[in-house]
Amino acid sequence: MEISYLLPHKFKKTGWVLLVLGLALGVAMRFFGIDSDFFGRIPFLGIVSEKNFISSEKLFFDIVENGFLDELVTVLIIAGGILVGFCKTKGEDEFISQIRLSSLVWSVYVNYGILLLAVLLVFDTPFWDVMIFNMFTVLLFFIARFHVLLHKANRL
Amino acid sequence: MKNTIKIQRAIKDITQAQLAEMIGVSRQTISAIEKNKYVPSTVLALKLARYFEVPVESVFELTEED
Repeated sequence: MEISYLLPHKFKKTGWVLLVLGLALGVAMRFFGIDSDFFGRIPFLGIVSEKNFISSEKLFFDIVENGFLDELVTVLIIAGGILVGFCKTKGEDEFISQIRLSSLVWSVYVNYGILLLAVLLVFDTPFWDVMIFNMFTVLLFFIARFHVLLHKANRL
Repeated sequence: MKNTIKIQRAIKDITQAQLAEMIGVSRQTISAIEKNKYVPSTVLALKLARYFEVPVESVFELTEED
């Protein structure tokens, strides 16, 4: 029996809710100037952190007061994206699994193609943006490609 | 690889959706196989042949490119 690493279909809707919420908050942060302290600051256990911006002295297992909106956005997008991308579709079968696999391969190529271009063409602070977007793009490209191909298959 | 699923379906007088349900796959899978856009697994090929009550070679046939 082949192991399927997919999640049950019932979590897919929850995934969409988390993903859309995460993307909306992410867009608000990145493009509408809402900063990570917007909902306040809470203490985190930082396995590694820095004393302050000026000194690069590392602190280990220290309590870090941190605006949590960026962490929230990241968790929402990744958790939502994983659920949307890897919950079984309603009639998941071998053909759909093949579409899923080819979409995943496609998205890894596209994602790293873009990253390679960015490494050679984007510098300084803008490259920081590239790295932030790149945390999510492989999942987002996969989800987009998979759903486009599913839609095409529906019309076969 | 080419196949005779459409003909076999016509003989049995069933739709893609009905066949899909009998075999336990999605309608899209049957459609994709009929249009030669997807080559089914051995298990699925055998299930189709068993349903049509013919040898698997009567449903699927290798072509030049294979």
